[in-house]
Amino acid sequence: MTPLVNPITLFFASILTSNILLANFLGMCSFISISKDMKSANGLGLAVTVVLTITSAINWLILEYVLIPMDLLYLRFIIFIIVIAAIVQILEMIIDRVSSALYMALGIFLPLITVNCAILGVSLFLEIRNYSFLQSVIYGLGSGLGWWLAIMALAAIRKKVEKAPVPAGLKGPGITFIIIGFMAMAFIGFSGMLSVQ
Amino acid sequence: MKMSPFYVKAQDNMQPGIITSSGFLGDDTRPIVDIIEHDEEIMQQLGLDFEEVANRLHELMEEGRKGLGEPITYQQFLLQVYEARGFLPSPFEDGIFRKVNVNIENKKNGKTLLVSELSIHLLQQHHFLQGRGSPYRLEPEDLKGTLEL
Amino acid sequence: MNPVIFTAPLAIAVIGAVLAALISITDKIVNNYGDLTIDINSGKRKLEIKGGSPLLSTLAESGIFVPSACGGKGSCGACKVKVLSDIGPHLPTEPPYLTKEEMAENVRLSCQIKVKQDLEIEIPDALFNIRRFTGVVERIKDLTHDIKEVYIKLENPAEINFTAGQYGQLEIPPYEKIKGSTQRAYSMSSPPSDKDHVEFLIRLVPGGIVTTYVHQYMKEGEKIAMVGPFGDFAEQDTQSPMICVAGGSGMAPFKSILYDMDEKGPFERDVWYFFGARTKKDLFYLEEMQALEAKQERFHFIPALSEPLDEDEWKGEIGLITDVLDKYLKEIVPDADPKEGYLCGSPGMIDACVNVMTANDIGEGDIFYDKFA
Repeated sequence: MTPLVNPITLFFASILTSNILLANFLGMCSFISISKDMKSANGLGLAVTVVLTITSAINWLILEYVLIPMDLLYLRFIIFIIVIAAIVQILEMIIDRVSSALYMALGIFLPLITVNCAILGVSLFLEIRNYSFLQSVIYGLGSGLGWWLAIMALAAIRKKVEKAPVPAGLKGPGITFIIIGFMAMAFIGFSGMLSVQ
Repeated sequence: MKMSPFYVKAQDNMQPGIITSSGFLGDDTRPIVDIIEHDEEIMQQLGLDFEEVANRLHELMEEGRKGLGEPITYQQFLLQVYEARGFLPSPFEDGIFRKVNVNIENKKNGKTLLVSELSIHLLQQHHFLQGRGSPYRLEPEDLKGTLEL
Repeated sequence: MNPVIFTAPLAIAVIGAVLAALISITDKIVNNYGDLTIDINSGKRKLEIKGGSPLLSTLAESGIFVPSACGGKGSCGACKVKVLSDIGPHLPTEPPYLTKEEMAENVRLSCQIKVKQDLEIEIPDALFNIRRFTGVVERIKDLTHDIKEVYIKLENPAEINFTAGQYGQLEIPPYEKIKGSTQRAYSMSSPPSDKDHVEFLIRLVPGGIVTTYVHQYMKEGEKIAMVGPFGDFAEQDTQSPMICVAGGSGMAPFKSILYDMDEKGPFERDVWYFFGARTKKDLFYLEEMQALEAKQERFHFIPALSEPLDEDEWKGEIGLITDVLDKYLKEIVPDADPKEGYLCGSPGMIDACVNVMTANDIGEGDIFYDKFA
């Protein structure tokens, strides 16, 4: 049963109230490690958004026309990962050709997207929530933008915290986790207003 | 004979290609403690003292350096020093040594010795004269014959 | 039989194959830059290459070795190359290693930029020249009992361009207990005008891998390899008198420099060449150097023996080369400021000569030698 959620609502819900990072806590590894400076965070956010949008579209098609008809739903993990890896590979080649500067800016983050949990997570949500193709693409795009927003926000906050008198034991990842906790509360606090389902 | 880890490690370092391309052991397959023990016996039979030999070799090397790479006469010896930049570590891991060799020729009897700064150290500190067939092997008989001690 | 056993692998295989095909097709379209040309130093050399790889490795494949200490990781900044074609702005990885002037001249890190179009680049001529040469040992001549003159005919490439005083790394094959080929640096003693040959003077060092090979195993007619030219030991472009000091095989770079100067005409500066040996049998090229002295008014050759034998009937200078040098600098060489020192020999000999020279008012910055022996 396709949920009757309005695409516009879905779009904003996936960015804000159901932010993939702060509501679902997916994609934490790169979220924490790449949020040290705004520039890398920005590049990674962009790449995640692009990959998320494309893979959610392709994975929806595969899910709908291959896995469900052939009764192979249990293969979805492995197939989604293969698709994500292939898309990242292709994207990497295209970016390299089109813009060396962007390619260099993304550097190692680009291949790392392959193992970003947020991307696999989004593809799995499509299936759980029975989204239509349009909903899937919008949800993918929205989640990507949400991820981008969250990592930029965290990078900005961390920049400030760098100069704050944080107790020695909490420096680095410790205080980062606490910050993420507050951020999550702020985002989830409004979850009643918009919903993804 | 059972060797302590100190000697086992040193023997590993003496293999070809570890510190020098030809190693310190030549064709000798004996454990280094056996080589040392055997040479100590011969040195004793010949009446040679390790410390005395080492001091004499040091003296000849310092005199030889004055030749600036050309052969130079000192007492009954013709000394020629060969220098290269860089250092070699001791296989016993107790110091590094300049790559300085001195060729000692006794002009009276024509006997020669090839000694490096490292080989003097090995003789002095460890009574190790290197394995048979090593280019820097110091035969006790040659030491006695060349240095006339 | 359960059809799942077939459908599951089949589904994965098909999807995998489709994706793989997609990647290869993208690769073919996106990464196909076709045949490109790189024009080095405005037409001095043109390379026909396949695009898509970093400039550094593309050049290396064509035998041009831009130095790189980190191996193309973008962390040493050694592989700078000036790019004349427009290939877009500097990448974020480049500016940390470039000065403002270099940025303005579009100097790039060759390991970071990919060859995607026809390029025009500029590299130092010296770099451009470093090659691996193979050749044949044409002649081995005994100069003294422990110094051999090895004359090599170059075959591939057949010509070398170098400046007098530079060195090459002679590469010898494995022999006896020495596994693997070994390289050692020797100054070239032939004049640069003899483009299809290189000559080395090699003194036997007891226990030395390469010198032992040259003295005991090398045969005329055998194939040999060399990488070069390297080094910046050369005649400085000034009019100051040159004070050259060498012993043994240290003769090599001076032979090359002096013959090179001789070919260019009368010497335009005074050259004092001190050469030390022990006895007359350790001296070599005596006639050649004396002939040059007779021809070139401003060239003075001072061989000195430290321990001449009675039968040598030696009438020249006697003593250690440092003592003879000191005496000449104090009494004979006319006072002219500044003088330049040129040294070739062992570290001990160089240190001793630098001391004598600085004590005689030759500035440390005006004393030249290769920092290896």
